[in-house]
Amino acid sequence: MQKLYNNSMEAMFFFNRQGKVLAMNPAAEQIVNEDVLQQLYQGKAQAICGVCRGYMSDTELRTCLACYFTSPESEEFSSFQVYLDTKDKGMVPYAATYHTIDRENGVYVFMLRDLTRQFKTQEKFYQNKMMKHVIEAQENERKRISRELHDSVAQELMSAVIDLRVLKYMTADEELLKKMKQTEASMTRLLDDIRNLAVELRPAALDDFGLEAAFRSHFKKINESYGFTIVFDSGLEQRRYSNELETVIYRIGQEAILNALKYAQVDMIHVSLQDNDNLLQLIVEDDGAGFNPGDAPTGTGLGLYGMQERAELVGGHVNIFSAAGRGTRIVVEIPVQPQPQEQ
Amino acid sequence: MNNKVDYQLELDQIRAICGYDLMALALVEPAEYHYVIKWKYASGNLNERFRGIVLQSGRGVAGMVFKTGKPFMFSSVHDDVPQDALFNYPIIRTEQLTSIGAVPVWNDTRVAGVLLGGFRDEQRVTRQSVQQLLELTRRGIGELNGKEFLLN
Repeated sequence: MQKLYNNSMEAMFFFNRQGKVLAMNPAAEQIVNEDVLQQLYQGKAQAICGVCRGYMSDTELRTCLACYFTSPESEEFSSFQVYLDTKDKGMVPYAATYHTIDRENGVYVFMLRDLTRQFKTQEKFYQNKMMKHVIEAQENERKRISRELHDSVAQELMSAVIDLRVLKYMTADEELLKKMKQTEASMTRLLDDIRNLAVELRPAALDDFGLEAAFRSHFKKINESYGFTIVFDSGLEQRRYSNELETVIYRIGQEAILNALKYAQVDMIHVSLQDNDNLLQLIVEDDGAGFNPGDAPTGTGLGLYGMQERAELVGGHVNIFSAAGRGTRIVVEIPVQPQPQEQ
Repeated sequence: MNNKVDYQLELDQIRAICGYDLMALALVEPAEYHYVIKWKYASGNLNERFRGIVLQSGRGVAGMVFKTGKPFMFSSVHDDVPQDALFNYPIIRTEQLTSIGAVPVWNDTRVAGVLLGGFRDEQRVTRQSVQQLLELTRRGIGELNGKEFLLN
């Protein structure tokens, strides 16, 4: 009994009917800051309020309304959640119980169990789940708009261009022909712009032909648009993975390449995509400016965070190796379950 | 096209008149290349890398001029373009330009090309120098007649 009192990790406070502290175990002493500790030992009524930051009631996250401490005994506070301002760790959530142990003498015990870890885990799980939903929703929406642009808008425009080409054979008027040619040129360019837009939103190749094909056409586009060479080495041989996984790898690759484009000050990068023993590995490497991990980011710094976040969604991780002036190497590794061969 | 030499000669001449380090002309490709816009001619270029770049309407120096039909300039690339946006302007990078100005080249009321002048040193493109380029292009370059309006 004494050992429980002395060595328990749970904080225990014993109060009398007036709310004066009778005793506290070592664990309890540790969490309360010195001023309040003194007040408690001097037997000041309600000194506990100096550290209490409210409890979670049925209706509110944190409240002092109908306080567990002062409310009539009839109301049961056998188990509830309370926030305390602790000495070292700031505000900490606790699972608490407050009940009578000696009705005749009016002795109450207030026991606390630290919930920080559970809360963090819960929050992390929740965040992960939300992030997954958000990313999924974003990808679906992009896919929808991309398909719409490609199948509907671009199609219509295409048939208009063909009509225009037919028109050219219906007149010999030079002036008219010249005008038509101009119009055809700008409409063709517009068509290309729409197709580019659709691919940028979400490449249909990713859904239809898989990672390797999607990367290849993306790299070609980058090369054309920015004069930036990407040396691509793929050991995938057109293998397919789950839609989610392919999206994650593709988006991380895109981000990493964009980073190199923006910050590395090089004209060439190496990208390698391999599948070794059910571990899908993407490496994006440049020998450019590099950066010291931990330095204040040049951009928002959200890109790297987002990459990590996306990888975690499918149980993978991103390793970033870089130092100022020594280039950057980004390694993404994602475990893949052997999939039944789809037809 | 038999006037490849003409464009080159004209560019060299314009460069000599205006004193730019680089003079480049972007033109619309013929139908078999989907009418894309590319830098076709250059005078004073460091390398040939810019030739591979396909310009998209509204993007990059030429894309912007092509779309708006208005002149465009970065008097100081260093001050006007954030480092992490520089990749949007590949010709500035590949030609290591420090100051650029670009104007549309008209043909029969349409923008048919983009003329770019740039420096690699301390010299700066100014409003006056852009104006000078505009006047030059109004006279036409190669087979482009420089006409923005039909009635002049």
